[in-house]
Amino acid sequence: MLTAYQHLLRLYPKTYRKQFGDEMFAVFEDVRSELNHKGALARIAFFIREIAGLINGALREHLRTVFGVHQGLSIPTRRFTVRNEFRFPKSTAVLMMIILAGIVLALEKARVIQASYSDGNPVVPMEASHLTFFPTLALLLVIFYAAGVAGWAILFALRRSGVHRLADISGEPK
Amino acid sequence: MENLPLTEPVLLILLSLAGQPRHGYSILKDVERMSDGRVLLSTGTLYGALRRLLDDDWIERFEEEESSRGRQAYRLTPHGRRNLQLEVDRMKHLTRLAGLRVAARER
Repeated sequence: MLTAYQHLLRLYPKTYRKQFGDEMFAVFEDVRSELNHKGALARIAFFIREIAGLINGALREHLRTVFGVHQGLSIPTRRFTVRNEFRFPKSTAVLMMIILAGIVLALEKARVIQASYSDGNPVVPMEASHLTFFPTLALLLVIFYAAGVAGWAILFALRRSGVHRLADISGEPK
Repeated sequence: MENLPLTEPVLLILLSLAGQPRHGYSILKDVERMSDGRVLLSTGTLYGALRRLLDDDWIERFEEEESSRGRQAYRLTPHGRRNLQLEVDRMKHLTRLAGLRVAARER
């Protein structure tokens, strides 16, 4: 656990690690030892929170050092950040992928069962079907994800260009 | 003030340091206590915010005399305290206004 944390700390830029690495590790150790007498659920939640916090923090620090992106202290209120309707619907995409995976899996199972019970066809072992199943599934997931991203990018570009406002323009001035 | 309104974790960190200087673990626990367990900071989030506050000169680091394992403590700078006061004033104004508007609607 502690080793994993130390490894994750390496995701941060060197200067940041030098400045805060030891302190962060000491605080992590303190909180972890405090959780020893708590339930497994609390420990799991803690680790998930820590991993997410480290990855997010490291990413921000790299953006700051490489591109000079300075994340301030205030709540973001810029135009882009408050446009919730233009966020990529990640949860929907994930849900779609899960449903797609379920459908593909069911179809594949059905195909194998059909092949096994068909008189004219030789019996197809499950292992052989798995060889084609996972690459197909991966390919389909990639295609769907790419299509989703492309669709979102087109919609976003159209929205940015202001084309949707054309519908609001009437022939006569008000 | 460019940096206002503050995000909730940043505000809670500053409020934690308003009473006394603290080191990382103490801030983490105090924030949890102040928010009734609603805001649980990870070490990544905490030190990301501390780094930004240090950069903007809202807080400063110093060595505690009786610290174990060379822990760094943090305290508010006069600049940070002034900005925190501004944020508190802003929130007071907003709360008062919200109270008046909601009460007017209920009448």
